[in-house]
Amino acid sequence: MTFALVRRGLIYALLSLAAFISIFPFYWMVVGATNTSAEIIKGKSSIGSALITNAMAFFSQVDAVRIFWNSGVIAIVGTILTLAVSSLAGYGFEMFRSRIREKLFGFLLLLLSIPFAAMMVPLFVMFSQAKLVNTFTAAILPTVASIFIIFYFRQATKAFPRELRDAAKIDGLKEWQIFLYVYLPVMRSTYAAATIIVFMANWNNYLWPLVVLQTADNKTITLILSGLTAAYTPDYGLILFGTVLATLPTLIIFFLLQRRFVEGMLGAVK
Amino acid sequence: MNRIASRRGRVLALALAGVSFLSVAAASAGEISVWVWDKAFNGDTMREAGALYTADHPDVTFNVDDTASQDDIRAKLQTQLLAGSTEGLPDIVLIQDDIAQKYLQSFPGAFEPLSDSIDMSLFAQYKVAAATVDGKSYSVPFDSGVTGLFYRSDFLQEAGFTAADLKDITWDRLIEIGKVVKEKTGKPLLDLDLNDTGVIRMMMQSAGEWYFNADGSLHITDNAALKKAIETYAKFYQNDLVKPVSGWAEYTGAFTSGEVAVVPVGVWITATIKANADQSGKWAIAPIPRLDIDGAVNASNQGGSSWFVLSSSDNKEETVDFLKTVWAGNDDFYQDILIKRGAVGSLLSARNGDAFKASDDFFGGAPVWQDFSTWLSQVPSVDYGTFTSEVDAAVQAQMPGIIAGGDIDAALQAINDQAQQQMQ
Repeated sequence: MTFALVRRGLIYALLSLAAFISIFPFYWMVVGATNTSAEIIKGKSSIGSALITNAMAFFSQVDAVRIFWNSGVIAIVGTILTLAVSSLAGYGFEMFRSRIREKLFGFLLLLLSIPFAAMMVPLFVMFSQAKLVNTFTAAILPTVASIFIIFYFRQATKAFPRELRDAAKIDGLKEWQIFLYVYLPVMRSTYAAATIIVFMANWNNYLWPLVVLQTADNKTITLILSGLTAAYTPDYGLILFGTVLATLPTLIIFFLLQRRFVEGMLGAVK
Repeated sequence: MNRIASRRGRVLALALAGVSFLSVAAASAGEISVWVWDKAFNGDTMREAGALYTADHPDVTFNVDDTASQDDIRAKLQTQLLAGSTEGLPDIVLIQDDIAQKYLQSFPGAFEPLSDSIDMSLFAQYKVAAATVDGKSYSVPFDSGVTGLFYRSDFLQEAGFTAADLKDITWDRLIEIGKVVKEKTGKPLLDLDLNDTGVIRMMMQSAGEWYFNADGSLHITDNAALKKAIETYAKFYQNDLVKPVSGWAEYTGAFTSGEVAVVPVGVWITATIKANADQSGKWAIAPIPRLDIDGAVNASNQGGSSWFVLSSSDNKEETVDFLKTVWAGNDDFYQDILIKRGAVGSLLSARNGDAFKASDDFFGGAPVWQDFSTWLSQVPSVDYGTFTSEVDAAVQAQMPGIIAGGDIDAALQAINDQAQQQMQ
């Protein structure tokens, strides 16, 4: 009895510690957005009164509508295309048997280990020759065929009942119809989880947009935030206010899809 | 079912079409584009220079982009030059002096030589030297990083020291003063970030030395100035005179909130210090201390940057003419940016202007700009070479051991070995 209590107490203590470690930076960010730069440097961790000042400073320095529009278009279009392409590939890898399937898949996984920085220069040459530098197309295209998402969909597809596909075939559906009308609705939890992962990755993407988006009016919010932190006398209140704004879209998407996200991670097929 | 399918298809097609919109065209002719990294400092300064030029040349406009950080600019520039694609590069880019040689030597032909069109003897010579390759200079020097010893005169006075006690001293003497200050006021002498080699570099440069020999090979194990600088740095810690900090915010936070007595730093810190109006009159500036070895002077440099013209520029003629007219020829402009932005330019004749002669009550009524420009003309020229940041990393790796009392010769050997490996 007492052992069980101690055990339970320990678990709660550990979980509380973990929760604190995950939540504190977030708390610090939100509180920082309401304090002045000087207060933040001194380590003030209570709500302050500078929120309006920080907001005004942010909106006067940053063309927020334009920047969030850029980030939004790149993240949303990128997410839709990535899901479309990568889920098709994952479906294909699992459904169709072929002699080179596993070898090809293994090769893809191997590619995951190449850091993006190593591919950046050749990629830039390609986009430069295609006259696509400084366009959203260039920012989006390289992320569309995501090996991780293909892998994720293939794993999830293993739980997809083959009988459903067989039945649909007997009913005379073509492969693309099976994908659209049978597979897609059944796998919606997987899609929801993948949406969060891909949206977040696209929204936060840094290195490639940095190099390929050149003019100030094409930049995304991550690039702008990075620029703000590098000033000789950074205004941390303004920066944290911008960071809070930049976090909101991901947060909203997460809360909207939260229930399905958990199902998706558990690999549930209904 | 087919109807639904075709509708979905249309949505997808629309989405695809949406992605392919082309964006803004490249810079138009007659527009000079510039990449800088700090809105308030180099951004506004360049905008002001542009406005001066546009007033006489209405057909030339300026587009100053200050949305990227210095690291971002380096990443972009490097990727594009490596990729051999100059599309979208600006006409002028700001580059920090200690990295200039790396760009000039790694990408020959990417930058336009300027010494044929602009008289480089007008500028502080150590700045010109930083951007000179094979007798040609590629930059118009911008802000100077000439160093000074900023100090809290109230703390020093409390400990019994006057301005004369700090004039033209050695670093060893500063340590002695620091001990007394610590004893009398309880304040540590200075704040240092172990991941920043700035102080060691400024000590080394005050003796006219750097990490490299003239032929580019490493000058570490036999570098007396570097050894002395590291020894001095370790003494700060061993005498408990340091408030350790990590990162820029803590570093500036410590001295702007009165936690330390002195700050040895480049002149560009002035605006950060003066931002605390309540400390007016409590600060003063002395010449930077020198190393106690032959040839060392009480003048050095930390940071500072210069303007480079890309060879790919469509407006080369206007761009060079602009730099020549404003940056190499307008003394009044330099008075203006000194007053408004706290920017100490590198044009030597500018020091004869009114702003440079004015005294500053914040610093106890001293003619601080005249002092800085005197020191500016004395900064020893050194060759920053192409691998400064690699050696910096090697120095940083040894610092924790050194301040704990480790053997300095062994550390120099380790720095040499690590840097050697990186340079291959």
